[in-house]
Amino acid sequence: MSDRQTTTLQRDGVAVTKERLYRLLLAGCAATTLAVTSGIIIALLGRTVAFFGEVSVIAYLTGTEWSPVINGTFGVLPLISGTLVITAVSAAIALPVGLGIAIYLSEYAAPKVRSVLKPTLEILAAIPTVVYGYFALVYVTPFLDGVLPLDLGTFNALSAGIVVGLVIIPMVSSISEDAISSVPDSLRNAAYGLGSTKFDVSTKVVVPAATSGIVSSYVLALSRAIGETMIVVIAAGLSPKMPFFPDVLRNLTSSVQTITSGIVQVAGAENASGVLLDAMFALGITLFVLTLTMNILAEAVRRRYREEYN
Amino acid sequence: MATETDPTFEGDAGLWRRKLAGQAFESLLVASTLVGVLALVALFVVIGNDAFGPSAAEPAWFLLYFGTLVAPISVYTLLVRRDEAASSINGLSFMTVFGSLIGSAVVFAVVDAVRPHDVAIYLVFGSLFPAIVFAYARNRESHYTGPALPLSVLVGLVTARALYAPVNSVIAIVADWIMFLVVVTVPVAAGLGLFVTWRWSRRYGVVTAVAVLAAALATAGGAITQGIDPAVWVVLVSGVVGPVAVVSLDTIQRRDSGRYGLLGPWILVGGIVAGASLERQLGIEGLDAWLTPTLLLNSWSSFRPEQAGIYPQLVGSILVVGTMAFLAFPVGVGAAIYLEEYAPSTGWRGRLATALDVNISNLAGVPSVVYGLLGLSLFQNFFGIAPWLPPALGLRPALVIAAAVTLGLLILPIVIVSSQEALRSVPDELRQGSYGLGASRWQTIRNVVLPEAVPGILTGMILALGRAIGETAPLVIIGVATTTYSAPEGVFGSAAALPLQIFASAANSIPAYRTGVVAAASVVLLVTMLVMNSTAILIRNRYENN
Repeated sequence: MSDRQTTTLQRDGVAVTKERLYRLLLAGCAATTLAVTSGIIIALLGRTVAFFGEVSVIAYLTGTEWSPVINGTFGVLPLISGTLVITAVSAAIALPVGLGIAIYLSEYAAPKVRSVLKPTLEILAAIPTVVYGYFALVYVTPFLDGVLPLDLGTFNALSAGIVVGLVIIPMVSSISEDAISSVPDSLRNAAYGLGSTKFDVSTKVVVPAATSGIVSSYVLALSRAIGETMIVVIAAGLSPKMPFFPDVLRNLTSSVQTITSGIVQVAGAENASGVLLDAMFALGITLFVLTLTMNILAEAVRRRYREEYN
Repeated sequence: MATETDPTFEGDAGLWRRKLAGQAFESLLVASTLVGVLALVALFVVIGNDAFGPSAAEPAWFLLYFGTLVAPISVYTLLVRRDEAASSINGLSFMTVFGSLIGSAVVFAVVDAVRPHDVAIYLVFGSLFPAIVFAYARNRESHYTGPALPLSVLVGLVTARALYAPVNSVIAIVADWIMFLVVVTVPVAAGLGLFVTWRWSRRYGVVTAVAVLAAALATAGGAITQGIDPAVWVVLVSGVVGPVAVVSLDTIQRRDSGRYGLLGPWILVGGIVAGASLERQLGIEGLDAWLTPTLLLNSWSSFRPEQAGIYPQLVGSILVVGTMAFLAFPVGVGAAIYLEEYAPSTGWRGRLATALDVNISNLAGVPSVVYGLLGLSLFQNFFGIAPWLPPALGLRPALVIAAAVTLGLLILPIVIVSSQEALRSVPDELRQGSYGLGASRWQTIRNVVLPEAVPGILTGMILALGRAIGETAPLVIIGVATTTYSAPEGVFGSAAALPLQIFASAANSIPAYRTGVVAAASVVLLVTMLVMNSTAILIRNRYENN
């Protein structure tokens, strides 16, 4: 600019307008995220209201049969049961293993080992879930069938649940590790000063002090397991079932259907329309509310622990 | 413990017990870490084993490739690792050779699927107007240059749309390879020319640009006399040979030590070529691989596994994810800039910004199927009633643009959060310094903050791309066909994606699909993911070291 000297004190009109324009554009970008949330809620609610015009809320929430295509019954309980089975199996794998990894990485591992292990374990969460589903169906199920004294079906909840567990391990381990390593060193040193061993310090001081962070990671990981789709669709089959009660093992060896795989099945159905499509959105809102509640809960728990030490 | 009052006087037995408990605990921790690592290794080994079939190869085969590939690469790696100069040149060389190779292959596949003539029309008009603006702005500085550049691109694209029919009827008779010359060779020649002008002199720059053009034309001439379609060769010569030659010559001239670092990629390629030719000449039984050029270049076949290929799915995935990046990345980075640089921390606007932050972290936790439902209702309700859009939109099967928007919404929180972190890590002194020199807020962001934050933003973008390329459930829900036989014809063509084919064929009743074709397709997906993740980690490490 040739007239730079005169514009240093007061920017001229065009420059001010330009600044405003950019600010407005960027604010618009940020507002998009709000639009996404409202879009999700409007899309789900609209069709769900239409669905409950056709099917009563009570029949949906207490019905024990989900057979939308053949019988036209829309009871969500079998899908919730399937979701719980998968989540329970994955929790049995991921919660202890993830916590073990977190303690190992933050308390025991040498920095060099840690710098290799951390990105390696992150890969577990980065592998496409469709590949995991394929892995569960074609490799894990035959392997478990050969090793375990169970009569596993081609599609079963056990291998799908185990593989979902693998996916959520990094979630548990990385969030728990953050919580564990944010425990102040003064607590550790005090415990060592009292004559504690490393084992005592880890189990009696560090882990209890990080409890809220660990619990938060557990809740988030379970929420992720509930929302997991492709592994379950491919490896756990598509047959909705109420839980087998006295014969608990049958829940693991037989095929189940979760909320997510229910949605995918309706989406893949030929000529899905009308109440069937609406049912998909009702399942969607069930899933959305469930996972959102868990995520908010996890955040609330985590916020509490932040206040404790800072 | 009973001995709490004075633990040092604890008996031997008690000490032993505590030591044992500590040992047991530590081995438990190591075991759980091993569970994670071994699961990962098992997945790669079993799927890789089915994709490559190493059990069919004779011992001589392994010996042969050890001699031609493993041994030379090991010796070379040992040498390079000791020499810092060579190691940095080695990294540059690998990046240039394989980056340009992958880039050229991707550009060729996408342009070929979309139709070279269309790409050429939109590219020429889309870059003509900004070029005029840019040329004007070089001589006269103006407030309007910044906003005019994106606007001129838009005007150019609209003009291209308006003039499409007459222009297309004129150039329709021109051969494909000439269009590739316009789309690939001319930009590459210009780019390399500018690079050489910057590094050396304008004269060398002009020579480089002319040399690239001449080489591409000569290749085309040669191919035509041989009776081969010159399109691929034009793209390869200008997209790979050009950049590699320029970077190699530049390195040889500029660096005085560690130049042998340039050899890395050639030892790798040479080892594979030598191994393959010796394998054929000596008649050694090699791998029983499913991951072959046939798989990568053929179209899908539902009944003949040995003929089945995933070319259309690969092109579809690239097109969907590319369109997604084009749509979602600017919005994500823009939102992050607003939240970090503009949003105040007090008042109603501050509360709004906090609400947006909470909202973004909640969006990151929404299951991907729900995004699929959002995409479905968006394209059925909203675009279904917009008459100015192509009528097929919103009807099944879903289009590339629908898949791209759905995935874009899904990855938006990832891009925003990682960009926010990158912006936050830029030290405040830089901003204050810039303000002190009289720069405005936007000037500070553009010239000071963004350049500092680019590596962090890039890392987040690459991770988001990796996430999007493997995403399956939302695409199934918006109705993308799971089995596809032809690549999408453009942004408004029917979508296709690699993960969907894996989903469709994972439970195929023919075993050769289950443990052969699908395993190979999974390896392609896994390798893509690994390459992206390690690139992201490399960028992050380099950035942190600086």
